[in-house]
Amino acid sequence: MEDIDAMFSDLLGEMDLLTQSLGQETVPPEALPPTNQEVNYSIGFTDLNESLHELEDNDLDALMADLVADLNATEEKLAAEIKGLKTPSPTTSDLPPPPKGLSLHPPSPHPLPASPASSTSSSVSTPASSAASSLPPPPPQNAKPTKEEIEAQMKADKIKLALEKLKEAKVKKLVVKVLMNDGSSKTLMVDERQNVREVLDNLFEKTHCDCNVDWSLCETNPELQLDRTFEDHENLVEPLSAWMRDSENQVLFQERGEKYEVFKNPQNFYLWKKDKRALKDIKDKDKEILIQENFCGTSIIVPDLEGVLHLKEDGKKSWKQRLFQLRASGIYYVPKGKTKSSRDLVCFLQFDNVNVYYGKDFKTKYKAPTDFCFVLKHPQIQKESQYIKYLCCDDARTMNLWVTGIRIAKYGVSLYENYKTAEKKAAVNSVWMNRSTPSSSNPSTPSPTIKAKTPNQANGHAPKPQPTAPDSMDFGNFPPPPSADILPPPPPDPAFPPPPPSLPAKSSSRPVAPQHKLPANFPPPPMAMDNLPPPPLPPPIDDSPEAPPDFLPPPPPAAGFGSLPPPPLSMNSLPPPPHFGGMDQSLPPPPPDPEFLPPPPPEPVFTGAGAPPPPPPPPPPPPAQAAAVPRAPVRPSGSVRKVPPAPPKRTTPSLQVGGGGGGGDFMSELMVAMQKKRGDH
Amino acid sequence: MEKKIRRFNTSKRGKQGADIMAAWDLSVTVEDLGPDTPPVSLSVTSDLHVGGVILKLVEKTQIKRDWSDHALWWEQKQCWLLRTAWSLEKYGIHADARLHFMPQHKPLKLGLPNGITLRLHACYSSPVFQTVMHICRMLNIRHPEELSLLRPIEEKKKKKDKDSTEEIYDLTEVPLSSASRPCLYNGMPAHFADSPQMEAVYKMLSVTQPPPAPEVIAKQYRPASVVDKAHINGRWLDSSRCLMQQGIQENDRLWLRFKYFTFYDIEPKYDVVRLTQLYEQARWAILLEDIDCTEEEMMLFGALQYHISKVSQSEPQMLSSSAAMDDLESALQSLEVKMEGESSSASEMLENMTAPELNDYLKIFRPKRLTLKGYKQYWFKFQDTSISYFKSKEESIGEPIQQINLKGCEVAPDVNMAAQKFLIRLLIPAPEGMNEVYLRCENEQQYAQWMAGCRLASKGKSLADNSYQSEIQSIHSFLAMQKTNSSSHGNAPANDESINTHSLVSPRYHKKYKAKQLTPRILDAYQNVAQLSLTDAVMRFIQVWQALPDFGLSYIVVRFKGSRKDEVLGIAPNRLIRIDLGVGDVVKTWRYNNMKQWNVNWDIRQMAIEFEGNVNIAFSCVTADCKIVHEFIGGYIFMSTRSREKSDVLNEELFHKLTGGHEAL
Repeated sequence: MEDIDAMFSDLLGEMDLLTQSLGQETVPPEALPPTNQEVNYSIGFTDLNESLHELEDNDLDALMADLVADLNATEEKLAAEIKGLKTPSPTTSDLPPPPKGLSLHPPSPHPLPASPASSTSSSVSTPASSAASSLPPPPPQNAKPTKEEIEAQMKADKIKLALEKLKEAKVKKLVVKVLMNDGSSKTLMVDERQNVREVLDNLFEKTHCDCNVDWSLCETNPELQLDRTFEDHENLVEPLSAWMRDSENQVLFQERGEKYEVFKNPQNFYLWKKDKRALKDIKDKDKEILIQENFCGTSIIVPDLEGVLHLKEDGKKSWKQRLFQLRASGIYYVPKGKTKSSRDLVCFLQFDNVNVYYGKDFKTKYKAPTDFCFVLKHPQIQKESQYIKYLCCDDARTMNLWVTGIRIAKYGVSLYENYKTAEKKAAVNSVWMNRSTPSSSNPSTPSPTIKAKTPNQANGHAPKPQPTAPDSMDFGNFPPPPSADILPPPPPDPAFPPPPPSLPAKSSSRPVAPQHKLPANFPPPPMAMDNLPPPPLPPPIDDSPEAPPDFLPPPPPAAGFGSLPPPPLSMNSLPPPPHFGGMDQSLPPPPPDPEFLPPPPPEPVFTGAGAPPPPPPPPPPPPAQAAAVPRAPVRPSGSVRKVPPAPPKRTTPSLQVGGGGGGGDFMSELMVAMQKKRGDH
Repeated sequence: MEKKIRRFNTSKRGKQGADIMAAWDLSVTVEDLGPDTPPVSLSVTSDLHVGGVILKLVEKTQIKRDWSDHALWWEQKQCWLLRTAWSLEKYGIHADARLHFMPQHKPLKLGLPNGITLRLHACYSSPVFQTVMHICRMLNIRHPEELSLLRPIEEKKKKKDKDSTEEIYDLTEVPLSSASRPCLYNGMPAHFADSPQMEAVYKMLSVTQPPPAPEVIAKQYRPASVVDKAHINGRWLDSSRCLMQQGIQENDRLWLRFKYFTFYDIEPKYDVVRLTQLYEQARWAILLEDIDCTEEEMMLFGALQYHISKVSQSEPQMLSSSAAMDDLESALQSLEVKMEGESSSASEMLENMTAPELNDYLKIFRPKRLTLKGYKQYWFKFQDTSISYFKSKEESIGEPIQQINLKGCEVAPDVNMAAQKFLIRLLIPAPEGMNEVYLRCENEQQYAQWMAGCRLASKGKSLADNSYQSEIQSIHSFLAMQKTNSSSHGNAPANDESINTHSLVSPRYHKKYKAKQLTPRILDAYQNVAQLSLTDAVMRFIQVWQALPDFGLSYIVVRFKGSRKDEVLGIAPNRLIRIDLGVGDVVKTWRYNNMKQWNVNWDIRQMAIEFEGNVNIAFSCVTADCKIVHEFIGGYIFMSTRSREKSDVLNEELFHKLTGGHEAL
């Protein structure tokens, strides 16, 4: 075991060196006393060690894979950055880290404990995420900042980094075992600053689920027979730290429809008094109005709940009925013999210090009148106590009303923001799913898409894609790609009108003129778009002003295209990752992008994947699959826009490449150590 | 007196009019000549247009001045003759018409939501909707459509009221032109920058008033029932008619209030006055129990008021700037200075970063332990968010007897100044439940320090947090409050240090609690809001107000068709509710977005509304004219259209269409 510890700290040192050596080229190291670093390690690792001790072997494997992938990612990044440094364009390479930080920020859960102590500004590390969350986002980059601006910016960034480092010193990390629906489990490293949304995103990457909004992390407490879903904005580490050492609590990853039900069917909560039939027929427009009224005003409106609930009496197994009322300020009850007027209400409980949990099987455990119980308790309370409040409802609907109502009162607007983020995520993913399912060999590619998306979400003016969302979710489940695999895409289809005329119409951009010729002697995949009925999908996110380029084929040199074998063949034989690679390679020097994309990854990565150098064209859509088709043509271009050419993390090919910096040796040593440990068991 | 003269004149004029065929005499009272001056008689023909009449009139008075604001008011018909191109015939004016020539803008006394009275020139000739727009523009309140004017509640005249000579802020000097197109100067309309007096007026408008003395609250009219609350809504002026038409005379008093409770696009940066007045209206609604709330909510409102009054005194002008950005910038700058300063700065910085501690002898008592020992003294150390204690100071280097992490715990004060009791009651969460711990401090100073530390720690903040000092301050000032309350029984708000807590809650609680009983409860609520900035605190107050279940309801007593008893109709921004007066319960709710149409039968004064699903309701209004109800509903529907319209310009026409009724057409 000690081996592992030693290895870990070595590993950290290694990574540190790497980042430092890079950093010194750009920025002189900050004056941080090295002693500080030592301290950091020890603090950071006590927890890590603790949690490592509790791991089982298979968990260790998973963790190992994570680490390997992360190390590789870092290496790639380093390589990319070095490359970037060599390029003469000062705007891209000299500009300081915050934008980079953003680009790797939320969804990429960096379990890497490495970077904390590295003391240079260019460290490719987690602190960025903390910076993004604790400080206002960095000002948008000008296309051409003046020298002073750059300097000022750099200075500010240095300071920020220094601050981050200081914070980083105390960051706590936990290794968390998450139980999947199918009984298997995944192990993740979660750091203190990560919220549940980030962890979910991480799990999405690992599980290839459909990413719909119902996916949740839940906490169970078998001793008290409780469970609750974590809210997406909550930090995960904090509630987990409240668990006792011998706790049997678990973290589950499952779909929980009730999590965001209030946004899908607000009428059931805000108009619950109306009869059910009327509620069923409610129009989408009216739902939206309800959401507007209750979640988008100056103040969040809590559903107007009132009703008789059973309250478990302290320390007894008897239940007493009381007339309860939910208000934004807490739960109240009407004392005996008093009216329901506000001033007579007695406060039962306020929400500042309690969470709401669902109770399981309370009928047998506490002799509850029904099994529809919920519980309010301080998150730290883990055993039976008089400070836990047990309430019992007559039916499931009432229980959900109350639990949701309490969540709205407690979390307010965060709940709605969480939903919007989750919804966006689901929409993006469903687009991606359709595109990427054939590329099952390269499961981790979704991450760049997601990454590119999140900064947008932060800006957060989302046209409500609510009506379209269900569609897109369905699409996520659809397996359109298989068909693409099985059916050889039909060669030039007479049904398609000659594409060239339609192209200029759609894409107003003149500079790409040469490309008009390409499609002409080529089956016209991208053009298909124009003939089809308006696609049901491209959800709001897709119809940005940049839309036109979507319909252009990827811009690799024409020669490459001309010499390509007929598409059907290549379709079947080629593993899809090349799309990604091809896209990256063909990308012109990164455009001055507000998101500030790091330079493309080094080519070897792609050759490593065994892809033939000329990227195959996107598969022409099978006409039969009308519904699925619109997505296919979008694929290449869509990713051009969305995917920053950031080095893909955790791509398999990079495994071999990763060793370059000496890290490979290191990793193998680590693996040996792990195996050794396993042997000891 | 005036009326008599007029009547005399008309009879005389009637005779003359009969004598002359083509030209006849029109008598016009010119207000500027004084009330005792007889009307000016003009010889006119029926085809003379109104402009011509005015011209003749002005020539005849031989006074040189700017008459441009003047217009003719036809007394019998209660209307202005504003179309100067119309002939007398077209207006239907004959020799018996009693016309008055007077300015369209006249002084009006305007009671603001904050209880202060302004005197300003308001337009008496345009629809009230426009008049309000002008007033709001002058006062720098955005979204005037949310406000309106109402007749004040008559104050019972008590002879012993000597201090009734209230201060009136005069704004009549503001040129009319500047009110129509205000340019901002220093964040306020330029006309407020003219003189120190004007600036004082703006300060009054934009800074919250100090808490009123408890007697002032007690003296004010408080509605006792829903029916009482319904009566106030009968006082709203008709937005589609002008002030003169509604019998408002020069120098009359009206109230300016927020009428429609959908506050669109509140932007603290531009809405200083709007936000302040909205807060004041909300505060008075709470204090006078215009809207019901629970005791806990009342304590929170009290705490917020206390905080707001305290902060607005310390930062009198909330000059708008994006606070968050500034904070960051200044933080960065100061850091930068430090880093650039000396080379040793880094270690220095680290020193600054290491959290301060508290160390002292305190007494602890744990009721759970069932020991009769009571309080036992230990050496306590407060570090980060934890308290640890040791047998003595000397042993504090070693392992503590116990360490208690306060994060997430509940902190409550138990203080009695007279008895010199300074207890901190902690409820510390643990897996087994909450552990109760009492810490006993020796004196005020020690108590304030440790209490502040506990408070911050319970929220996960350490002593290094920059709110620590202000937390100590607020504890001190609350202790001071208790002192004064116990000595002098609740006399008017003395100085800023101590506010009588009775000033912060409704009179119901004056009876229920003594001021010193109230203090700890308000302090309790206060700890959650103590760190808010002025704007945030004001916003929070408004949000909590808006989150009350009864928020936004305007009540009208109505009689539903087919029903024999009076019931109450509640009009909310998104719905109508029917309240049974006997039970006080909401019987039925109708939402506007299910509404197909609504009609007013002006002859029988009945409203009929049709909702989707063949739901029809009809009622007549008891405590307010049905025009008021009609305008409320139409007004709310107008308000809901605002988000869809992108332009900033107020669609006045639509408002009148929705609220005007047949009279407007």
